[in-house]
Amino acid sequence: MTESIAAETQNESVAAPQAARQRLSTLIILQRYGLLVLFAVVVLGFSWLLPDSFATLLNFRNIAGNQSVLAIVTLAAIIPLICGHFDLSVGANLGVASIGTASLLSAYSLPLPLAALGGIALGALIGLVNGVLIAKLGVNALITTLGVATALTGLTTLYTGGLSIITGIPELLTDFGTGAWLGLPCTLYVLGLVAVFVWYLLEHTPWGRELHAVGANPLAARLVGIDVERTVLLSFVVSGALVGLAGVLQVARQGGGNPQVGLSFMMPALSAAFLGATSIHPGRFNVPGTVVAVFFLATSVSGLALAGVDNWVESLFNGCALVFAVGLSTVLGRRLSGG
Amino acid sequence: MDKASVDVLRVERISKTFPGTRALDNVSMGFARGEIHALLGNNGSGKSTLIKVLAGVYSADADKGGSLFIRDKRFDAASFTPELARSQGLHFVHQNPALFPMLTVAENLALGRGFELTNKGGWASRIDWRKQRARAEQLIARYHIRATPDLPAYLLDPPERTLVAIARALQDQEDAAEGVLILDEPTASLAGPEVERLMASLRRYAQAGQTIILVTHRLDEVLAHTDRVSALRDGKHVGTSPTREMNEQKLVALMLGHAQPEPAALSGAPAAAGSARPMLKVSGLSGGPVQGLNLELRAGEVLGLAGLLGSGASHVLRLLFGAAARSGGSIELDGKAYAPRSPAEAIASRVAYVPPDRATESSFAALPVRQNLSSVNVGRYFQGLRLRHDREAEDAQASIGRFMIRTASDQQPLSTLSGGNQQKVIVARWLRDEPRLLLLDEPTQGVAAHARDEIHGFLRRAAQSGMALIVVSTDFAELCQVCDRVLVIANGRSVAERSGSALDTHQLTELAHFAPEVVAP
Repeated sequence: MTESIAAETQNESVAAPQAARQRLSTLIILQRYGLLVLFAVVVLGFSWLLPDSFATLLNFRNIAGNQSVLAIVTLAAIIPLICGHFDLSVGANLGVASIGTASLLSAYSLPLPLAALGGIALGALIGLVNGVLIAKLGVNALITTLGVATALTGLTTLYTGGLSIITGIPELLTDFGTGAWLGLPCTLYVLGLVAVFVWYLLEHTPWGRELHAVGANPLAARLVGIDVERTVLLSFVVSGALVGLAGVLQVARQGGGNPQVGLSFMMPALSAAFLGATSIHPGRFNVPGTVVAVFFLATSVSGLALAGVDNWVESLFNGCALVFAVGLSTVLGRRLSGG
Repeated sequence: MDKASVDVLRVERISKTFPGTRALDNVSMGFARGEIHALLGNNGSGKSTLIKVLAGVYSADADKGGSLFIRDKRFDAASFTPELARSQGLHFVHQNPALFPMLTVAENLALGRGFELTNKGGWASRIDWRKQRARAEQLIARYHIRATPDLPAYLLDPPERTLVAIARALQDQEDAAEGVLILDEPTASLAGPEVERLMASLRRYAQAGQTIILVTHRLDEVLAHTDRVSALRDGKHVGTSPTREMNEQKLVALMLGHAQPEPAALSGAPAAAGSARPMLKVSGLSGGPVQGLNLELRAGEVLGLAGLLGSGASHVLRLLFGAAARSGGSIELDGKAYAPRSPAEAIASRVAYVPPDRATESSFAALPVRQNLSSVNVGRYFQGLRLRHDREAEDAQASIGRFMIRTASDQQPLSTLSGGNQQKVIVARWLRDEPRLLLLDEPTQGVAAHARDEIHGFLRRAAQSGMALIVVSTDFAELCQVCDRVLVIANGRSVAERSGSALDTHQLTELAHFAPEVVAP
């Protein structure tokens, strides 16, 4: 009389994974190149709408030059993210590194290479503080880096009195920051080098693999012999050093150290990092995806600004992109880990 | 049908089929008012399935027409629901009861039922803490719990925690005489005196008329504290009798059946023929639940550790792998002192470990099969300052072939593989490096029969090549099948040893359930 509904649903659940897997692979292909296609659509769309302002060599060069710094910060941010930890202090760290570099050049008149190294070391030191608190003491990364970021902002204001450091910056540095080589901004070449370096670290060294393993399952990582604490700590140090380098570039770009600049980097960097994890290699933070995401966001915002939309659009756009990207990678991650 | 009328709860002709297995096969049994009734059965006997049918979590097979009688009221077992179970007075308390450690006893009790509110929950109503405390005090008195309403739950002794969970489950029951309380392994994490304390309380509830169904693995508790005992085997009800007519042998026979043919052991020649010197020598090993364990193991030998939940058998492996802190004892590996402080050090000494829980402890579910295989030592592929993905892929292909792993490619995420194939990846991860000593905890849990045989084959072959293996399993039939020799572990010590023809499931079960008092060495 009563048909066995239970048995039927069980049969379905046996057949379901295959169909789901098929859907999954279509989804993955769509995702892999979706952002690139969207990027192209945005560029072509704005070029058609605003041929005189958007589609100019100057505008593209501007975007490329400005966003190179952000792209380096974002590449730095994905390193701790891969092993499962947020870093909300990348923006504040960039502020400290750029103020530090500017100050070493102007107040201490250090030669440029030493000052640049100083900026990078300052970034690495902040990463070390984060890393010790998070990896050794086990404090929640979100809270730690938020606290460190807030404290750093305070220290920066204390040191500068809120004023930019613009004197005594060598012309060599500012020329590099605003200059171009073979038609492309110099900073873009630095981004290229950093991208290759991070890609190499993540995909071509055992340490990169360990980062991914710790991010996927820290307990299992320990039981295959990975030193989880050291891996996490090092991820923050490397990330901090790269942010330090971005800080030096920011000085080159702006011609000085601006204490307000840091915080404006945090949100765009996080948005781009998560958006990047949804493309090229979906479900995984990856270098090409991250670079595409940074420039997609920047181009969209620039296009909208040139079309006459006020600057509130940047926050709205970045915020929505972050939520969308996190949502998408959560869903995708859940499918990948079979949950 | 006279007998049925004294039963508070009766199940009749209940079957439950899952794809491929019949978990319950025409089970009928009754539970009388005011008795403590033990429900026995090995892993896979259908015990948990029966409990879940009673709880309304699983619906029984509809075409078999099984029914539940609760106080002579008939319910269709195929359409029984958690709401019905609750309203008919069936209450469940699971192993490691879920109390909220940071909340007080009063709050924990209220979370099962709803808070007492001022103003009858109307406008601007809030929690009436005075009434709430009074309720908690009543319950504490009624169930003889050693606690106060304001005590945070984490400060409670383990047996009191279980009692609070019981009180939370039973608080809606106005009349203590009418309900059925079903306890799933309530004593698994309790020590001796704590068990006594819990059992004394249960006896008091039963005397007040509460019917108690006790699911447990500890046969000594069954003999000491219950009125009747029923056993399930392979989904069938194989008998019910008064506990006073039982003894140890009869209980084990009831659980395992009489003439169970032993599966032919896979082991070939006894490894005793190998070298005289042991590869592994453990003396006085202590740490966590393990207390002064001794064992020796030769190359080419498969040693089993048979122990119940909480016996410390699993912890022995964690100590040997450096994954848990040792508090005493010494280990010699190939004649040299071996004292791993971390898994990395153990791996450096060519010791490998397959943990019991694949999902939380060994799989990188989202990572590809290839990276799961190479995760132990990916550094070997770092040649000429780059990771040789090509060599890694070659090795992955070789492992997939050698260990018969069914996957579309080595770049599939591990989570897309079946449970058995995932486990083969985990085992292959270690075996391909040919460790000296391989430690395995529940190597075939959640693995289908076919893959299980394959994994057993890998282990035997590894032993034949000279590897030493230690296998922990709560499935004693599995130990008899793959091991040359088995140590029975109870209370963190080795209490008996069986090998060769003396190795059988019956004996191991009996020994593990009735740990003899340990005589200090």
